[in-house]
Amino acid sequence: MPAHLLTLSGVTRHFGGVQAVDQVSLEIEAGTIFGLIGPNGAGKTTLVNLITGYVPLQSGRIELEGRPIGGRAPHQIATLGVARTFQTIRLYKHLTALANVLVGMHSRRNHDTLQQIGLLPVFRRGQLQRVAEARQLLSRVGLEPDRFQNRRAMTLSYGDQRRLEIARALALGPRLLLLDEPAAGMNPAEKDRIRELIEGLNADGLTILLIDHDMRLVMGVCHQLAVLNFGRRIALGTPAEVSADPAVVTAYLGTQAGEEGATAAPGAAGPELEAPVGAALRVADPNESVRPPDAPAAMLEVRELRVGYGAVEAVKGVTFSVDKGEVVALIGANGAGKSTILNALSGVLRPHGGSAVFDGLDLGTAPTHRIVSHGLIQVPEGREVLARQTVRENLALGAWSRRDGRAVASEIEELMERFEILKKRRNLAAGQLSGGEQQILAIARGLLGKPRLLLLDEPSLGLAPQTVDLVFGVIQQIHAAGTTILLVEQNALRALEVAGRAYVVETGRILLTGTGEALRRDPAVRKAYLGG
Amino acid sequence: MDFFIQLFSDPVGFYQSHELLIAQIGINSLLAISIFVTLFSGQLTLANVGFMAVGAYTTVILSLHASTPLAFNIALGALLAGALGVVVGLPVLRLRGVFLAIATLGFGEALRFGVILNLPITGQGQGLKNPDADPLGGVVPILVALALVAYLVWRLAGSKLGQAWAAIREDELAASSQGINVPLYKMAAFVVGALIAGLAGGLESHINFFVDPTEYGTTRAIQVLTFAVVGGISNVLGPILGATILTSLPEVVRQAADYRDVINGVILILIIVFRPQGVLGGGGLALIRPRWWPRQWTLTRARTPADA
Repeated sequence: MPAHLLTLSGVTRHFGGVQAVDQVSLEIEAGTIFGLIGPNGAGKTTLVNLITGYVPLQSGRIELEGRPIGGRAPHQIATLGVARTFQTIRLYKHLTALANVLVGMHSRRNHDTLQQIGLLPVFRRGQLQRVAEARQLLSRVGLEPDRFQNRRAMTLSYGDQRRLEIARALALGPRLLLLDEPAAGMNPAEKDRIRELIEGLNADGLTILLIDHDMRLVMGVCHQLAVLNFGRRIALGTPAEVSADPAVVTAYLGTQAGEEGATAAPGAAGPELEAPVGAALRVADPNESVRPPDAPAAMLEVRELRVGYGAVEAVKGVTFSVDKGEVVALIGANGAGKSTILNALSGVLRPHGGSAVFDGLDLGTAPTHRIVSHGLIQVPEGREVLARQTVRENLALGAWSRRDGRAVASEIEELMERFEILKKRRNLAAGQLSGGEQQILAIARGLLGKPRLLLLDEPSLGLAPQTVDLVFGVIQQIHAAGTTILLVEQNALRALEVAGRAYVVETGRILLTGTGEALRRDPAVRKAYLGG
Repeated sequence: MDFFIQLFSDPVGFYQSHELLIAQIGINSLLAISIFVTLFSGQLTLANVGFMAVGAYTTVILSLHASTPLAFNIALGALLAGALGVVVGLPVLRLRGVFLAIATLGFGEALRFGVILNLPITGQGQGLKNPDADPLGGVVPILVALALVAYLVWRLAGSKLGQAWAAIREDELAASSQGINVPLYKMAAFVVGALIAGLAGGLESHINFFVDPTEYGTTRAIQVLTFAVVGGISNVLGPILGATILTSLPEVVRQAADYRDVINGVILILIIVFRPQGVLGGGGLALIRPRWWPRQWTLTRARTPADA
């Protein structure tokens, strides 16, 4: 009898030149909750897609109870009892909650086309049983059937949709349930309910593979954890073992330029560094500021900003400011609300409350083009370069709204001189550049808008350490040339190195603020990331 | 106006004087149901008219060259259309959305120009004279077939098959995570649609003295789609209603009969702008559900909050 429900050995998948999952081996014991964590872009979702057959395996083996399932189609793997939820909710939006769960029973259901033709209830006994079971599943996940069963999935609140997706997965009668970020975007109360649900399902004997960014949740419920970074498994063990693992701390907080290993990470090396907690100022009163009181009016003044997506409030009242000539960083774990703040500043999202004033312009109401012409330029997360256009064309399009064509042409030349790599690649399609080169291109494109305040969203996302050096070198160069920068980063240590001041964001609130130097030594930063 | 006065004051006389119109409504409703089945599974195919041609030609050719009974001819025509559906479906069902629509439209034209116009047995460009034509006798079989097909398709929606189609329409990726074999079920919808279209073709040939290839062109393929879009595709009554409205329109407003295509086009635009879910779509049926009608009979379909 095989001891493990699911066994992965040497599982590998690359997309083009990117190793999304690289030689990952792990074993999941029946009846346990197994956690899979890692920074953004670590390959967690790709691994789930490999297990469930959505992405074909390139090498390695995946076995369910000793039976190889690699290379099978998704529906075959599902029929074997592997159910999953999706990172972005994929319900049947227009079907009712009940119908969503009924569809989940597909693989256990006999073909009943002939029975369905009869109208008398006696022909539909199976259907009535299924409905009863579906109602049970709805209440199992906390959706009261009488209230919810006839509502279309799309009309449910976000948290209820997440729960419904779990009910639909349970309808499969799974032996293994893969939950891909089930608590993403939920508030703490909802997260607690999800946690209770996961623990309850496990107590009923279900084996669960859980991916989530909420460390409190993952560390709290999982028996075993694997940590991925750049597609490799860098740690494996119990939550306590993993959170003490230096390699994990490094993966989450990043490394400083020229330094290797975790000793540089805040609070990682043990008690001797635990001391200077007070070095950073805690924000008790949001109006309190680390700026000296006699400083000139800030270039960007954000007060009690609240931003949300539908029912979910992602930013719950943040207050901060950026002075002319500064580099200010917003750091924090994935899902903390950092990018949402930037999107609210640039006019992509509209705030629900609070104010954001940039040099006299109210960013909460000003049209996006006004914000841009006022000198606030955002370089979006994930770079968003036009993959099929050449580097040169990308730059030219960046200045599309400008009328001073001749000046633009000379500025593009100037940028190419400044960032030599762009000059070398000028006639190459942007899609062929490496991630770091694309990031530099995106920043250069932003500079053509003549920013006075440049918003950089996760410039180091998915980049290898050497490339991160290159990008941060560019950021320092731009700052030295006089541009004010507001930087959002997961890679805390790198961000704190270039930033004069920083704010630590956690679940939509500002947790800490201080100078870059002070925060670098503060163990509370590590806590914000790893939930320790 | 006369049209409605007669419809309500003298239904028997209305039936007798409009038998051909009613037969045409029945045929068009069947076609609309055939495209509804594929739309229900989330596939926009325009091959139905091609399958209809297969049904019609098979029926007439058998009538001309074999002494088999008419019902057998029609059934064989429908089955042949279904079998052709498998052959055509294998390559084209990898496509989605508008690409699938273009490929299936291409199939219809290829069948017409490539096969029908070149095979001597089809009468080529001249068409075939139908020895069994019986315009008035054909009405009842058409209505019976329509009732039967509509009932089966309606009940199908709640079966394992229908639920899988709905899931695929909503989200193919999620459907496969529930163990639904997406390519297989898409093929099933395509073939069921082809069968119904083939049946409609056979039945129509029976009320016409003539089959000729111009009947089965792109214009008609689009017209069939229009029926389903105007009526709404949340349940099987939608396409029937759409076909009824658009087929009887030239009769209702005789003066405007010359502008039939223009009026159809305007109706289509108005529907898309003001009621994109179709006349009956999005809870339209719930509005006319009588109180005694058990709600769980339509359990598997989404309803509006007002109905719930």
